[in-house]
Amino acid sequence: MPASSRAGADVVRIDDAFLGRFMAFGGPCDVLIDTDDRAEAETAITVVQREASRIEHAFSRYRTDNIVHRINHAEGASIIVDEETALLLDYAATCHEVSGGLFDITSGVLRRAWTFDGGDRVPSREALARLLPLVGWHRARWQRPRLTLPAGTQIDFGGIGKEYAVDRAAAQIGNATPRAALVNFGGDLYATGLRRRDRPWSVGLDDPARSGEATLDRFELERGGMATSGDARRFVMHEGRRLGHILNPRTGWPIEGAPRSITVVGPTCLEAGTLATLAYLQGPNARAFLTEHGAEFRIVD
Amino acid sequence: MQLSDTPEPARADAEPPATPPTPIASPSPLRRKLAAAAFLLLGVPALASADPMPSSPSWQLDATGLLYGERQRTSVIEPTARLTRLFANGQALSGQITLDAITGASPTGAVPSGQPLTTTTASGMVTTLPAGQVPTKKFNDLRGASDLSWDLPVGTLFKATTGAHYSREKDYQSVGASESFSLDVLRRLATITIGGGVNRDGVFPRGGTPVPLSDGTQVLTTGTDRKDVTTGLIGLSRVLTRRWLMGLSMTRTLETGYLTEPYKVISIVDSTDTAVDQRTENRPARHDRRAALASSVYHLAKDVIYVEYRYYWDDWGIRSHTADAKYRLELPDDAYLLPHVRYYTQSAASFYRPSLPQGDPLPTFASADYRIGDLSGVTIGATYGFKVPGSRGEWNVRVEYLRQWGPAGSFAGTGTPGGDDGGGGERATRAAAVALPSSKFGAFTSLDIGTIVVGYSIPF
Repeated sequence: MPASSRAGADVVRIDDAFLGRFMAFGGPCDVLIDTDDRAEAETAITVVQREASRIEHAFSRYRTDNIVHRINHAEGASIIVDEETALLLDYAATCHEVSGGLFDITSGVLRRAWTFDGGDRVPSREALARLLPLVGWHRARWQRPRLTLPAGTQIDFGGIGKEYAVDRAAAQIGNATPRAALVNFGGDLYATGLRRRDRPWSVGLDDPARSGEATLDRFELERGGMATSGDARRFVMHEGRRLGHILNPRTGWPIEGAPRSITVVGPTCLEAGTLATLAYLQGPNARAFLTEHGAEFRIVD
Repeated sequence: MQLSDTPEPARADAEPPATPPTPIASPSPLRRKLAAAAFLLLGVPALASADPMPSSPSWQLDATGLLYGERQRTSVIEPTARLTRLFANGQALSGQITLDAITGASPTGAVPSGQPLTTTTASGMVTTLPAGQVPTKKFNDLRGASDLSWDLPVGTLFKATTGAHYSREKDYQSVGASESFSLDVLRRLATITIGGGVNRDGVFPRGGTPVPLSDGTQVLTTGTDRKDVTTGLIGLSRVLTRRWLMGLSMTRTLETGYLTEPYKVISIVDSTDTAVDQRTENRPARHDRRAALASSVYHLAKDVIYVEYRYYWDDWGIRSHTADAKYRLELPDDAYLLPHVRYYTQSAASFYRPSLPQGDPLPTFASADYRIGDLSGVTIGATYGFKVPGSRGEWNVRVEYLRQWGPAGSFAGTGTPGGDDGGGGERATRAAAVALPSSKFGAFTSLDIGTIVVGYSIPF
């Protein structure tokens, strides 16, 4: 019985590994299992897909049946959250703290004003001024396990949820197979270890100027996470400048002067992704930021 | 792990690979913090279940116990339990069971007499009182109520809520259904709510329905008198600033049928204000009630201020104003204190008569029920909420003290203000609140009522 009917993922053989592909988090998700046993690969891919589906279901801001929806529609009331949500909120609070408030899970409402479709529409100053009062994690009351947001303020785990899912899913592969695996959700990835015959995983770096068509570089990854921040696909043109979709929560305006793409390697996909985002939020100082904090990174300007 | 140099030709504008890779031996404080936070997040045992499941609690139990007391007269114990099931698709089904156990003695409405006074009902049951005592009727009653409510979200902006309820006591039955729709608009900064409900209630007084304005010995019917209630509501809530939420709503309630209180009487008094006789009361068979409510929720840095004003008017001539304020004070360890103050005042219904002069022709409608008389009240109370360490449940304790006052002698009736249901839980206290002229000051008589509610909520 093919995996595609069991788990909804397409499974194909690539050289001496199996590749499973499914859609989640708004894009394609790939799982490579370093095995010749198709059934074993399908089992592992199913485990990954289920975990991705669970996390997306539980923390997507687009659903109406999860904790994020309850939090975002509490209208000022306190919501008691479950342990996993509490851990994510703790992590987001740490990101907010170490970024001096630039990383803010309440900034998502600003996207109502922006359309990052490669066009040239930018919102009016008034439109942003109306939304900015709704932004600010420092105004949330987070007293584990109780979260109270001012009415109208919403949270969005989009900045960490996918990376979190990569690490979580990768950690479960060991239950299905002893073989090495690579989990790649839309460019955020984690490798569980060396492949057979001591080969590392090979990862290409997408060329932000010709996204999806060309690679600039090839990395070798043995064990750990890797993530890329940038504006390859979601941007708007304004007065000849290219504005990416990552917004400054204080101004409501896109971060300007940041590199086209920032790739960071870390012990986990979550840390790699967070560092890449934090660096992007520094704008032109992204490189100095990563260097200062001793990160392994690759920047494309 | 490390980034390898590329064997492929790099683009001219591409950065040279970061070489040599920086060792992670001495991470910065920022990276240590991130690593610690990531470890906490990812270090918890992997969630064993591979099945998709909602991350939020799927059941919630809310239980309360209410103790209500008036000096020397009436006590009420009211336990409630509400169980809510949250479904994975966003629907929620919730059911509540309420019991009221009431014991005590209720004034009949007659004024205290200088002479022994006999009260009767249509059934022929007779009690005779010594002089000077407020005429009361001993009673104990058990009321059971249940309701069901179903939330159905459609998309992300629209929600429909369907409800049904049933309650029963010795002489009253209520069956009802309601429906409301809410829609988020203006980028979710505003919500419009439209709703309505119908009740088909039945009144079956013990001993039969007395003939209005009679001496109470004659019965109109021993069957059920019908009372229909139709309610409509329209509301708007709007986020004004990040800290301020305002709400406006209008409700209209139309009651038709048997609206008289079957056990209430009016004293016939002579020229010295001495009760010489009594008559059963009579009210119009139609009651058109309207209310407008404005509410505001304002968030301070930690605490929250709630303020409400309500204006009520009806075709019986009752007008009322309610002002209500609460302050939520956040305390350490997830505890909070919510002080509450409320002021209420109403004017009397056009047919309200504390007593009827002997010899005058009887009016068509008349009632001595203080709940539709001139009446004011102040409630002072506080709720304390807290958690017990190690438990997911939340406790709250609410203590309230209500003083009501009106013109002297006006508290011979029984029950909470009937013109307005703003006092919270009109149904719960309809049979419970028994007036007691506990003190007199100036031209007013006052009544003191205490309430304690203990609540517990737990998701599981």
